[in-house]
Amino acid sequence: MELTVTQENLTRALGAASRVAGTKTQLPILSNILLRTDGTRLMVAATNLEIASTQHIGAKIINEGAITVPSRLITEFVASLPKTTVTLKVKDNKLHLEAEGYSSTINGAVADDFPELPTINDKTAVSYAIDTSALKQAITQTILTTSSDSTRPVLTGVYWHSHDGALYLAATDGYRLSEKRLVATKSDVAAIIPTSTLQEVLRTLSDDVTEVEVLFDESQVRFRMNDAEITSRLIDGNFPDYRQLIPASSETVITIGRSEFAQITKVAGLFARESGGSVTITANSDKNTVSLHSVASELGENTSEAEADINTDGQVTLNSRYLTEALAVTEGNEVTFRFSGKLSPCVLESNTPDNDYQHVIMPLKS
Amino acid sequence: MQNTLWQSVLGEIELSVPHATFVTWFKNTELVECTDEQVTIAVPNIFAVRQFQVKFTDQIKQILAKNGVEPAHIEYIVKSSSGRRTTVSRETTMAARPDVTENSSRLTAPVTQNGSLNPRYTFSNFIVGSSNDLAYTACQAVAQYPGTKYNPLFLYGGVGLGKTHLAQAVGNEIVKNQPDARVVYISSETFVKEFLDSIRFKKKGFSDKYRNVDVLIIDDMQFIANKEKTQEEFFHTFNALHQNNKQIIITSDKPPRSIPTLTERLRSRFEMGMPIDIQMPDFETRCAIIEAKAALSNIELDRETVEYLANNIKTNIRELEGALNQLLAYAEMRGVTPDVSTAEGLLGNVRRSRPQHVTSKQIIDKTAKYFSLSPAEICSAQRDKHIVTPRQIAMYLLRSELHLSFPKIASELGRKDHTTAIHSVEKIEKSIKLDFTVREQVAEIRERLYA
Repeated sequence: MELTVTQENLTRALGAASRVAGTKTQLPILSNILLRTDGTRLMVAATNLEIASTQHIGAKIINEGAITVPSRLITEFVASLPKTTVTLKVKDNKLHLEAEGYSSTINGAVADDFPELPTINDKTAVSYAIDTSALKQAITQTILTTSSDSTRPVLTGVYWHSHDGALYLAATDGYRLSEKRLVATKSDVAAIIPTSTLQEVLRTLSDDVTEVEVLFDESQVRFRMNDAEITSRLIDGNFPDYRQLIPASSETVITIGRSEFAQITKVAGLFARESGGSVTITANSDKNTVSLHSVASELGENTSEAEADINTDGQVTLNSRYLTEALAVTEGNEVTFRFSGKLSPCVLESNTPDNDYQHVIMPLKS
Repeated sequence: MQNTLWQSVLGEIELSVPHATFVTWFKNTELVECTDEQVTIAVPNIFAVRQFQVKFTDQIKQILAKNGVEPAHIEYIVKSSSGRRTTVSRETTMAARPDVTENSSRLTAPVTQNGSLNPRYTFSNFIVGSSNDLAYTACQAVAQYPGTKYNPLFLYGGVGLGKTHLAQAVGNEIVKNQPDARVVYISSETFVKEFLDSIRFKKKGFSDKYRNVDVLIIDDMQFIANKEKTQEEFFHTFNALHQNNKQIIITSDKPPRSIPTLTERLRSRFEMGMPIDIQMPDFETRCAIIEAKAALSNIELDRETVEYLANNIKTNIRELEGALNQLLAYAEMRGVTPDVSTAEGLLGNVRRSRPQHVTSKQIIDKTAKYFSLSPAEICSAQRDKHIVTPRQIAMYLLRSELHLSFPKIASELGRKDHTTAIHSVEKIEKSIKLDFTVREQVAEIRERLYA
């Protein structure tokens, strides 16, 4: 194998691949990166047997071939090179890299030992073309509420599924829940994508990608972003029937400016650090105000107030951190926050007619 | 068959590839289908599918061919592992969350906790005979109308008679009818352990955990008998559930009133629902069980073999299954049809563990010991009530176990008149049908005789 590539392209590809390369694995070759010529391009790939990441970059190919080299060393070496062209040459399982004054040899391993990367059948797979910014937003909005409890694997991912002609994303950790309607669909999909995969997609997505192709088959999902691809296993199991948890209507409905609400929540949260973030929200329909009250028994207490439209009086206690995080990912200048009494779930959503995102938070028992 | 085939394939591959490769790719693989046309292998993930297709297919084909299987092609599928996790591990971590949100009410999701139910236990594969048809009918009624029909349902009976099977079948049936019902199956030992943990580590939420389920199945209740605090905790759980018309199913090896250290308030509660006993299966039921189990393995046993097995193992269905499995495995290994002679050759062991040569002296001694009397007292002429019943039971056992003649029985116990013996045997036979205590006593003495 012999070829030249630009340092910027190679560094970007290696950076993306090296994040996936396995670190603690029984199969040593998984901590290597695969470099292989593919037509007129160079393919850079890595996998940890849960996710596989492949990048294609333009290259001037002189001789075809392939090799695998330790991920960390090559990534750090190439990143420290000046921004010029880099020549890669393989001889006797050794990779020679040369660039303006730098020259190094890295001992590699035969590419044949590298695991085969999974394939997906484009014809049978369900595929979606999704606008990059919409996808980014949907993932950010749902990934927040996934669980990290590995004993309930189904909750450690985001549930992508079709319902009433649309593709929905949902995630819950048992204390809060988020649901996003993404695009219209005619196919049936039900897949739980691991949180780590989605995080990787977010990191890999560069601004020059306008559209992401998402392909599902029974046991895997693939995200195609121009020259980069991420393939991942799905989490095996049934996602809980979460829809019945989202109350269709609530007694108290507060309509409030998003930034005002975020501001008073943040302030109240300062005094709630001792009590596990516990703040009490009181809606007063006479004065049309929402007030948040929090107490730090040793330090003092706080009441923050903001104007809002309110239909009925009500009071609920919840974790201010959850509310802050939910407000940060909700769109629009105005949001509605609704709840019924102290025990049933609270719902936060954007106050727009075509709202497609709901965030549910369980109150704290106080 | 498939399993052994795959094991031998694995064995050979293990020798030919590096250990790390073997562990990474071949661990958790399974042969799921094996016909002339196609062999299907289940592998843990999509990466393995591709790896197998490209790197290992030729090797697997070769080894399969050596074992006499030459499929046209090999198919790889991703194995689904759902339903394997137990509730126990899940529950403990919920309480162990270090998060500040511990006092936050969880989304009361239909996060079904049925993981612990074993889907193998269903009504359809439970074999009904006269010894358990009452229990079976009651369980079906409960499965149909949980919480309203018989609440609590208390199943009791000896080891290996199907209590757990029935209790789980109810759970599975309810889940089938209402997929969102929360059914919790737990052994009383786990209950005790979790309770102790909650005290030791001051975990909150234990009391709520079992109080918002729809169906609570507690297996082997007798184990909480001498644990007072746990009983109290369970008592509150019980009340909370019962008041909300949630179904409670309890199994135990004794009826509530025979569990000595059970507190009075729990005992009365257990008895208010429906206590049902499951008895030893009779001969016909045992035959039916053997036939059904053999049919599961696609093997038809002849009448004689079935009867031989049913005749030789009387007390415990688990043992019965064990003997049958032993027979089938042996027959498969040797490539012979399982018949009476194979069974006899094999089960010689089984029988030897239950010596048939019980003497009349042993029966009298054991009976006396069971009732804390001396053998001399039983054989004496005393007619105190506490001696009379044991004496009658001894006579009954001499008759039923050794088939002694009535005059012989009478003389063994120092009586002259054989009509006493006839009367005694008849009396006990009658009481066994009516009185649980007597039945229990006889069964226990019999158990000790052959122990």
